[in-house]
Amino acid sequence: MSYINYSKKKNNIALIDCNSFYVSCERLFNPKIINKPVVVLSNNDGCVISRSTEAKKIGIKMGEPYFKVKDLVKKNDVQIFSSNYALYGDISRRVMKVIKEFSDKMEIYSIDEAFISLAFVENQRLNEYGKEIRERILKWTGIPTSIGIANTKTLSKVANYIAKKNKTGVIVLDKEKDIDEELKKFDISNIWGVGKQLSKLYIKNNIDTAYKLKNISNTWVKKNTNVLGAKTVMELRGIPCVELQTIEPKRKSCCVSRSFGKKVENIEKLEESITTHCLSAAEKIRGEDQVAKTITVSIRTSPFDRHREYYSNSITIDLPIATNNSIELIKAATEGLMAIYKYGYFYQKSGITLSNLNDAGKEEFNLLAPLLETKSKSLMEAIDLTNTKYGRNSISIAQAGVSSTWKMRREHFSKIDTASFDSLPMLKI
Amino acid sequence: MKLTIPFYLHKVGAGFPSPATDYIEDDLDLNTHLVNNAPATFIIRVQGRSMRDVGIYDGDLLIVDKSINPKSFSTVIANVNEELVVKTFIKEKEVSYLTSGSKSTIDKINLGENQEVIIWGVVTYVIHKLQ
Repeated sequence: MSYINYSKKKNNIALIDCNSFYVSCERLFNPKIINKPVVVLSNNDGCVISRSTEAKKIGIKMGEPYFKVKDLVKKNDVQIFSSNYALYGDISRRVMKVIKEFSDKMEIYSIDEAFISLAFVENQRLNEYGKEIRERILKWTGIPTSIGIANTKTLSKVANYIAKKNKTGVIVLDKEKDIDEELKKFDISNIWGVGKQLSKLYIKNNIDTAYKLKNISNTWVKKNTNVLGAKTVMELRGIPCVELQTIEPKRKSCCVSRSFGKKVENIEKLEESITTHCLSAAEKIRGEDQVAKTITVSIRTSPFDRHREYYSNSITIDLPIATNNSIELIKAATEGLMAIYKYGYFYQKSGITLSNLNDAGKEEFNLLAPLLETKSKSLMEAIDLTNTKYGRNSISIAQAGVSSTWKMRREHFSKIDTASFDSLPMLKI
Repeated sequence: MKLTIPFYLHKVGAGFPSPATDYIEDDLDLNTHLVNNAPATFIIRVQGRSMRDVGIYDGDLLIVDKSINPKSFSTVIANVNEELVVKTFIKEKEVSYLTSGSKSTIDKINLGENQEVIIWGVVTYVIHKLQ
């Protein structure tokens, strides 16, 4: 490809991805389920979000609603777990800390995967280095991983996919011949950054493998895709175009939503849930010293309920002053709820999103601001302090309610939290 | 895992401040003493009396480091027959085995014969409540 004017400098990116992460976390203190099919369900025991290899083998699909796999579960004695994000979050932080020791340049990509730069490692040592990372993560945290190493993020994703599928642990794709051989077998829709729409377009044009995409003409790419599409092609050619995001960007919006354990009809219960969402979202953005300019309230009934009419609505409210004050946010959210609530429906989910987030103190000048600010700021600080000291929801707003019928359904919850003295793992000796 | 004890050097009062004020540093942090390798350290609560001989009592908290390898007479967490247990690890010239406390070796588990026994971690401290 002589017309490429990018330099093909040595980059060496490793993608480290935890194997069936949530399942591995559940297995950590529960050896009885190590060789059994295990499945973890999403919030409210809705869908399958993590599967052990054994569970994959018996045909349980990712994202399937729990009720659809119940027969398979019974027949094969599959172990079911409700998601325990407190545990997964703590184990994830541990895994990331271990990874960080292997490279200064690291991008935490999700709860269970991270990219690191291995530009400082000699190519012939990459495999050995990857194995070392993998063994240390396993020994220190108990979590098995797969590692893909290549010159670009996109190729490291490919390598990781193969490592995971073949259970080889570490795959290094650094020789043109090996890369091409793998790309010929690699389905277009499995390429990182190629979504449903794009893969449809490619397939329509007879580009059904990663290899064909790699060797497509630049003019075709320019004509038919956007910048991101072009970057993917370059990355498949081994030319780094997607940089590691080593600094975590501050969040641009903050969303809290929850499905109800039992369907909710009356507005008081909805108000309670919205209020609680506002409290936790407000606390989150205060923690990052941010303020929100808009708030969105959304409610909906179950889309799967065939006996009742479906209703879903949301409303976005511009706040007069950007704020992180729980009381202001609750006021606005409650007004919004009143506007979209319809009597006679059985609601299944409610949520709020704070958006247009900015650093506190940077917001535009407003005549009313100083008056409101100082008073509420010290109140919010007092609430946060009390809640950190005495536990969540020690101080709350009365509207949040004390009974919580809309709490999450977690029938298969493991109750272990390695970061809380109240729920430490327990051994009978 | 937050665990700090405030370390006050003098009471607030009238008059001159304590000459020690300048030397106040941070709170005394038990983590720095008890936890050598944070990402690999877990705290586990135990229930039962089988390990009294080595000083582990019902309700104690064990600080467990997964990153270190056991020495002879280390207290370890091991995966035995699909169950996590607390045992004493003993290493002799040719063989190593697990026992319940260092004194009784009746119920010892030979590690050479039991391939499925896996050392999960090494207990480095016991937190035992006295009052």
